[in-house]
Amino acid sequence: MEKTNTLAAAIALAFGLAACGGYAVPTDRMIASEAAARSAREVGAANAPQAALHLKLAQEEIAQAKSLMNDGNNKRADYVLIRAKADAELALALAKQADAEAAAKKAADQLNAAGNQ
Amino acid sequence: MKTGSTRSLAFSTSAAAALLVCACGTTNPPEELVQAQETYARVSKGIAQQYKPDEVHEAKEALDNAQQSFDKDGPSPETRDLAYAAGLKAQQAEAEAATIIAANQKETNEKKAQTQTIDSLKHDVAVEKSKREQAEKKAEQAAADLARIAAVKQESRGMVITLFTSGQSALLPGAMAKLNEVGDALVKSSPESKIVVEGHTDSQGRASDNQELSLARAQSVRDYLVSRGIAADRISAQGLGSTRPVATNKTPEGRADNRRVEIVVQPSPGGS
Repeated sequence: MEKTNTLAAAIALAFGLAACGGYAVPTDRMIASEAAARSAREVGAANAPQAALHLKLAQEEIAQAKSLMNDGNNKRADYVLIRAKADAELALALAKQADAEAAAKKAADQLNAAGNQ
Repeated sequence: MKTGSTRSLAFSTSAAAALLVCACGTTNPPEELVQAQETYARVSKGIAQQYKPDEVHEAKEALDNAQQSFDKDGPSPETRDLAYAAGLKAQQAEAEAATIIAANQKETNEKKAQTQTIDSLKHDVAVEKSKREQAEKKAEQAAADLARIAAVKQESRGMVITLFTSGQSALLPGAMAKLNEVGDALVKSSPESKIVVEGHTDSQGRASDNQELSLARAQSVRDYLVSRGIAADRISAQGLGSTRPVATNKTPEGRADNRRVEIVVQPSPGGS
């Protein structure tokens, strides 16, 4: 009986390792992706069409990665988060670009208006 | 036959293996990797290389990782993920470079606008100064003209122009001729100043007659100046009789000096 229990525990351990696949939970990449998406939202990525598109993709990929992690598929989750982080960081950069270009246009318009007076 | 069959089988196996290798060797890269390579090729030749070289380098490293993944595992989901992220990193470098350029343009335009504003202010000040100088010159010229054609004094009550009269209310012929020039000068200079025309007599005769005469002198000069273009509401007349002599009334010369009209141009509210 004792032998049977030991065998059962060994089998359970073996299945557990197989389920994890030896791949660590991608906690750091999840945190980095979520932080990048939050930064993009805060600088107004939702207001710039291209930035908004990549922010939406990042949010969907983060949700997909969470689902994969719940299923124990940490490796796929990690790679999906590579996409999510890249999308979120691009959304941030595009939002900043849109802001800077709008400010530059405003300054140019003011200069032209002053020149016409 | 058996040997032949074995050979034939061996050949078939080799051919199949060769075909398989060939098939593996020509596996097309995934769309994500192709796009990432195209994006990187564009970005590495553009503004990002100048303004964000470190980020372009990071994109190259990410692209190399994706390529290695493809070489090792083929078009696996991981290869696609790495390639996708590499392409986005290149785009990110491009967006960050464009942000720097836009910020530089903004700064340049703001500096230009500042310079333009300062230049405009300088121009306004110069124009104002020129106008003021012209006005001062005009006033000086008018005062000089008045001094040339009549006795002009600067008193605390304003500029006083004295014209001499006959025993009647009429001005002396010479003074009358000068009054045209006085009128023109007053129209041109101090256009907002109030003007008071004061009539004076010598002490001969009755005081009440002198009072009437002095007022008649002042009134005739006032009316004449109004006819020359000075606004009626700017100019008034008053008779002071013999109450303010400027010379003795005991001599003919002194009395002649006292028979006069004084045009007092009061300082304007603006001080000009």
